[in-house]
Amino acid sequence: MEQKRRRPLRGVTLRLALCALLTGLILLVAVFAPLLTPYDPYAQDMSAALQAPSAAHLLGTDTYGRDVLSRVIMGARTSVFSSLALVAIICVGGSFLGVLCGWLGGKVDTVVMRLSDLFLAFPGMVFAIAVAGLIGGGMVNAVIALAAISWPKYTRLARGQTLAVKSAPYITAAVMANNTPLQIIFRHILPNIAGPLLVTAALDIGTMMMELAGLSFLNLGAQPPTAEWGSMMSKGRSMIQTSPWVVLGPGFAIFLTVLVFNFLGDTLRDYLDPKRRGVRSE
Amino acid sequence: MKKRLTALLCLLAMLLPMLTACGGKETETGDNGEKVFRYGTTAYGPAMSNAGLNPHDNYSGWSCVRYGVGETLFRFTETMELEPWLAAGYEWLDDVTVRIDLRQGITFSSGRSLDGQAVRECLEDLIAVHDRAPGDLKIQSIAAEENAVVITCSEPNPALLNYLSDPYGAIIDMDYGVTEDRNVAGTGPFVAYEIADDHVYLKKNPDYWGGEVKLDRVEVTAITDGDTLTMALQSGQIDAVQGLPYASLPLFTDNPSYTISSADTSRVFFGAFNYETPALQDLRVRQAIAMAIDKESFTETLLNGNGTPAVGPFPGNFSFGSGAVTAPGYDPEEAKALLAQAGWTDTDGDGYVDKDGEMLTIRWLTYPGRMELPLLAEAAQATLKDIGVKVEVNSTANSADILESGAWDVYVSAFVAAPTGDGAYFFTTHCLADSAKNRGGYYNEELEALAAQLRGTFETEQRSELAAEMSQIILDDCGFFFASYLKMNFVMKSGVTGFTAHPSDYYEITAQLDMTM
Amino acid sequence: MRRYILHRLVQLIPILLGITLLTFAMMRLASGDAVEAMYENLGTSVSQDIIDAKRAELGLDKPFFVQYFTWLWGVVRGDMGTSYISGQRVFETFVSKLPNTILLTVSSILLTVAVSIPLGVLSAVRHNRAADYVIRFLSFIGNSLPNFFVSLLLLLVFAVKLEWLPVISTGGGLTGLLLPTLTLTIAMAAKYTRQVRSTVLEELGKEYVAGARARGVRESVILYASVLKASMLTILTLLALSIGSLLGGTAIVESIFLFDGVGKLAVDAITMRDYPMIQAYVMWMAIIYVLVNLCTDLLYRRLDPRVRLGEEG
Repeated sequence: MEQKRRRPLRGVTLRLALCALLTGLILLVAVFAPLLTPYDPYAQDMSAALQAPSAAHLLGTDTYGRDVLSRVIMGARTSVFSSLALVAIICVGGSFLGVLCGWLGGKVDTVVMRLSDLFLAFPGMVFAIAVAGLIGGGMVNAVIALAAISWPKYTRLARGQTLAVKSAPYITAAVMANNTPLQIIFRHILPNIAGPLLVTAALDIGTMMMELAGLSFLNLGAQPPTAEWGSMMSKGRSMIQTSPWVVLGPGFAIFLTVLVFNFLGDTLRDYLDPKRRGVRSE
Repeated sequence: MKKRLTALLCLLAMLLPMLTACGGKETETGDNGEKVFRYGTTAYGPAMSNAGLNPHDNYSGWSCVRYGVGETLFRFTETMELEPWLAAGYEWLDDVTVRIDLRQGITFSSGRSLDGQAVRECLEDLIAVHDRAPGDLKIQSIAAEENAVVITCSEPNPALLNYLSDPYGAIIDMDYGVTEDRNVAGTGPFVAYEIADDHVYLKKNPDYWGGEVKLDRVEVTAITDGDTLTMALQSGQIDAVQGLPYASLPLFTDNPSYTISSADTSRVFFGAFNYETPALQDLRVRQAIAMAIDKESFTETLLNGNGTPAVGPFPGNFSFGSGAVTAPGYDPEEAKALLAQAGWTDTDGDGYVDKDGEMLTIRWLTYPGRMELPLLAEAAQATLKDIGVKVEVNSTANSADILESGAWDVYVSAFVAAPTGDGAYFFTTHCLADSAKNRGGYYNEELEALAAQLRGTFETEQRSELAAEMSQIILDDCGFFFASYLKMNFVMKSGVTGFTAHPSDYYEITAQLDMTM
Repeated sequence: MRRYILHRLVQLIPILLGITLLTFAMMRLASGDAVEAMYENLGTSVSQDIIDAKRAELGLDKPFFVQYFTWLWGVVRGDMGTSYISGQRVFETFVSKLPNTILLTVSSILLTVAVSIPLGVLSAVRHNRAADYVIRFLSFIGNSLPNFFVSLLLLLVFAVKLEWLPVISTGGGLTGLLLPTLTLTIAMAAKYTRQVRSTVLEELGKEYVAGARARGVRESVILYASVLKASMLTILTLLALSIGSLLGGTAIVESIFLFDGVGKLAVDAITMRDYPMIQAYVMWMAIIYVLVNLCTDLLYRRLDPRVRLGEEG
């Protein structure tokens, strides 16, 4: 960010700090999950199956008699980390391709854009199921499958943004100053287009969590006994009438996480608001 | 822009009330006081290879018989013994020839009467076009008499009549043939008038030979999602269901508005050990694993009591079933002792047993197509951990590929062990050196000899004894372990009568089916 | 103009070839095949001879490229083959179910637009005030509920508890359409409300708005005449881009509500390895996707004459 802040806008900064704090909290829970669980999230006790929430089990127990709260905490690891990893992969990879296309143009641009057309037109589910079939089910593979079909969005976004800033005077100046293309991309283009990409990424985390949950519904996500929110919901959905706590626990966890990351995205957007910056994305 | 937006909003505002106005509940019975039975099932459709009613195509015979359109020459009783149905009786003329007398005065829904010639035409078409029937039946020739057929086999085939009672043996009128929408003319209490991949609509056969048919119409709807099925029954949109998820059953069990009919089937959930895995070549290790599976908890808790713990391949209602064989039950202490004897102990204190620096890890292969299998895998994962065995579950629809690659130690699947009530089937498919499904490479010379003996034995009692003996051998070798048998359930509104689950899983809709409301 | 459309349609060919070849390759590499999958799922046993015979009958014993080109040649002659599983003609089966899915998609998009544009605009205009927070909060909820769970809740409330609507959609006419549409709309509207909000916010931050304000132009005029029009372009593009995932995303909803469309057909086809059906599905979806995008571009041009067609390729 090469611009100086003109207005104080303490409110936005404060909100951003709050969001960062909450995001940090979620990440901390995910990192230290094994230390926080009151019970072993994988220990079965059939005699205690499907108990309603009580002092002993704050969120009740599931069909195998496992503590739902412990599984929700442990699930933060799988769910949050895999969604973050997924978004990181597609955001970094996709944006890189996009910047390259925008900067280089010509053949590279055409090939990558046609390729992105192909993937955008490809029904994602068919691809995901085929990938899962190729390399097996499981969380890592589900992430790979979704990454393979979700990158074009970022490529297009980054390409458009790059095209927009390419003709800006400061870029021309940088070219004239004999900067290498890489220098220009990293020092001048990326910082100026990072805003919209970051915002999209933050908002995408919730969407990706849903996509992963959808794959769990089709038995392509996390494998048992892995605690993961999406698969906990899809496995427990039949119990919504008989033992609702089995689904409500992970459901609420997903909601909170999506809330925090979306809030982060919004605040980030406000923070990086064009009004507050010299460069405009036209 | 504003105008366009406003117009769009107005349009939607007009549409919404229209959508809701068309609502309202559908009529409980059809027009003019007809009795209509609406049945939701998870077991019909292209995914089950049984769409349509043509018994000579794939598994569509199951739909033909289940929904009361076609009937077979013999049928199974509650104890899975044969009784004449369209047949009046039979007589083995020699080892390869049987004469089957037909019941008289039966007509197909097409109007043609059932005689020797009609049966012959039907069976000849069956062995000409069906994939499994020719190999099962081994029919060489069929001769038609006025009211009988004489079937000659190419080799002694003691289970011929059992196989003829498989739904593919439903007798249909070949003159009528198979219509474009896969309809056929059978002899059953109902006649289909609309067939699609997701439903079959039937109306009563007024000339049914087995007495007055009580319902006017039956609507069979395929519902693949268990929760949709549950709620369709709760909302009253359907009258009875098959295949409810286990988790939904408590909603109906203690509820006076619903009744449940259940039956133990011979669909067994079982595991095969891979003899290629060095650790599993030790009998004690196989036994330990088998003994560490808590079958009671599995059926009681995870299946909500809707399953019976298994001993051998066949359930207790068979004379050669669970009652005739023995195997050790759930005993973690004994399992640990067996592992220790085999040299597997936890030397590094990580909770898992090891030997020569290697941990005992079991790659548990199964598939999610049957909802019980992943449940069993996850339960076994925990109980095996208790005895120090690490289980890596791989539940995938591509289990066949992994089987081929050999990257598995235990393969757990579901199989209808005795679809025709006969004991030979399970062994010839799974346990012999040349069995197609002998995945783990199990071999026992004595078993091979008994199997050869079974092939030439016609006497039912002797066949049962042999089957029991063979079951005991594979249990003693612990080449397989058997977890539980599927209990199938029909849940219906309390006004429904005559809707009974049958152990064979072949008979659902009959002339006796009725509703009082 | 006509040349442009033609050009775009010609571009469709390599995309289709690429997609179908990719699908073909992946499905082949991914698994055994339709024959094994079929017998395995049924839990019955057949001899290897029967499996081999069935395979030969379906042409699955031939080399990969022979299979692909046989299929392709069929398509060129207007024959998409017969389903391995049901034995029905693929094209006819597919076309008979396509209208249902399109109906569901279109109704969901219309409802989404009807919900998300007013809410998004309101949220942007009332930026960081009560209305904005409420709308955003609701959109977070919509964004954090998996499809299969939303449909379950809707069924439970509207079909089981209130008994207003049927559980099974088939043959239910417009009433049957309502719950599946609502399910899809909730997730989409949650997403698009936020998109509309941020697009409008961005427009509001532009110089011409400040200029207009400085000239004393009324807020509502600025909003409707300039901001909304400019925002619509972005939103239109976003909507068009997501048509593909929308059409594919109806599968779960279709199977829960027994809505007889191609999504359900596709899931069944994939689990059963019904290659001709999968190919047909992938091909049709690609065609629809490309056509929708073409229409969007044309519409785009009408709305904003500054856009030069043919520039982006």
